[in-house]
Amino acid sequence: MRALRAYTILFFTISFAPIAVVVVFSFNTQRSLQRFTGVSLEWYRQFFESESLRGSLFASLEIALATTIVATTLGTLLAFGLVRARARWTPGLNVLMLVPLVTPEIVAGVSALLLFTQVGLRLSLLTVVLAHITFSISYVTVVVRARLAALNQEVEQAAMDLGATRGQTLRLVVLPELWPAVLAAALLVFALSFDDFVLSFFTTGESPQPLPVRIWSAIRFGVTPTINAIGTLMLVVSVVSVALAVALPRLLGRRESGVGVLLAREAA
Amino acid sequence: MDGNQGGLTGDAFAARALLPGGLWLLAFFAVPLAIVVALSFGTTDDLGGAIYGWYPENYSRVFDPLFLPVLARSVGYALATVALCLALGYPVAYYIARFGGRRKNVLVALVVLPFVVNYLVRTYAWVALLADEGLVNGVLGTSVRFLNTPYAVIGGLVYGYLAFMILPVYAALDRMDPALIEAGKDLYGSSWRTFVHVTWPTTFQGVLAGSVLVFLPAVGDFVSAQLLGGPGTYMVGNLIQQQFFGAEDWPFGSALTTVLMLFLLGWMVLYLRSAARAVRT
Repeated sequence: MRALRAYTILFFTISFAPIAVVVVFSFNTQRSLQRFTGVSLEWYRQFFESESLRGSLFASLEIALATTIVATTLGTLLAFGLVRARARWTPGLNVLMLVPLVTPEIVAGVSALLLFTQVGLRLSLLTVVLAHITFSISYVTVVVRARLAALNQEVEQAAMDLGATRGQTLRLVVLPELWPAVLAAALLVFALSFDDFVLSFFTTGESPQPLPVRIWSAIRFGVTPTINAIGTLMLVVSVVSVALAVALPRLLGRRESGVGVLLAREAA
Repeated sequence: MDGNQGGLTGDAFAARALLPGGLWLLAFFAVPLAIVVALSFGTTDDLGGAIYGWYPENYSRVFDPLFLPVLARSVGYALATVALCLALGYPVAYYIARFGGRRKNVLVALVVLPFVVNYLVRTYAWVALLADEGLVNGVLGTSVRFLNTPYAVIGGLVYGYLAFMILPVYAALDRMDPALIEAGKDLYGSSWRTFVHVTWPTTFQGVLAGSVLVFLPAVGDFVSAQLLGGPGTYMVGNLIQQQFFGAEDWPFGSALTTVLMLFLLGWMVLYLRSAARAVRT
């Protein structure tokens, strides 16, 4: 047990070390990645002074925002339908919803690229958004469905028996119970979309390109401190949105968000 | 049927709610996959533009002696990644599940946290550490060649996908009744035999789920091989990426993608059948 504990500590140390190096050296005064010579914001200044890198940052944020809005809406509706509809094609749709989750990113990227070029859509930020939405819907559906399935349907029935219309029941009974999960799913999708490289790489146009695609091109020209700064900025955005995804629903709704389903806690 | 039975269940609105998402997935997910398969039988014109047709040669090229080693390497690297993730991750999952106590959730969050950081940035961090002029060589005062080796590529994949192994294994261990282990110790005596006869079989479905979750992204990865390796360590993902950016042979790229897809689909079916059997027994 003591050996196991020592191993676990070592494990965490090694898994955080590379990230710590990126963050620490993003504040280095010199170009060196071997010696830390002093604290400066030089590389952040360079990042924000570059018009094209700023453009990429805003492009990434726009993509993530648009993806979040559309995917959360479609995914929530889909979850509602999958749990509550008794359509003949519900099981088939369920499979269609789950397959994107296990599709390797490169397959997703190739298929999206082919679709857009075959219908003659010029590659741009729009095509990136369309691809991101496609592979975000399922995350929303899985998270929201976990929460929806746990709802007590008798409350809905009671509301309708007492004369509430369908719309009123949805708005006054179902949505208030559901929104912590919807919010959590939205923040997760934002983080996933902001971080995504492979899909963006296959579907982006020339300019502006999403930030991860810019990192990819930059790394191939060698290791530079500016990449450390971009990496640290991206890290902050992702950590904040994922932390909010877990914490906000609990703070505001005092309920389980349903995110646990993605951590396999509720998996069969 | 009584329309009001169980609130909104079976309501016409619920059926209509399926439409937007369902149609979207059909148009932007199912149709594109069909296009990939269709184009995999196509060919290119003189300018490299893709044209549809019936050219099954793309598939014999996939298994050409020139490309076969790349496929074999991808599967080999991915299997090595699964094995290493299991060996490195199982003890961590075990420690958290059995001895985590009140800090369990914090420890699980610590497992997840590095994976919230962009995969490119995490891989790049290893480049910065292991480069010829990198931090490790700088601190040790050595000039060891770490990059451009299979070890670096597999290491990058392990670091990239380890959480996918730890989480399901942890979930399986956490669900397990600790009394089983106590009973095992009474029955078998040593801790090791208890592990072999009790803990391992009980958590095997979690291990299987983790293996699939690691194998799927690892086998199609092209980032690790590109950044930490070189042409000698290229995987099928790099080969596919080259066909679409550079070589401009989209039909061959589509054939490679289709083969990868079918190969993974086969494994998924096997896994799901095993999981279904485990649920029944």
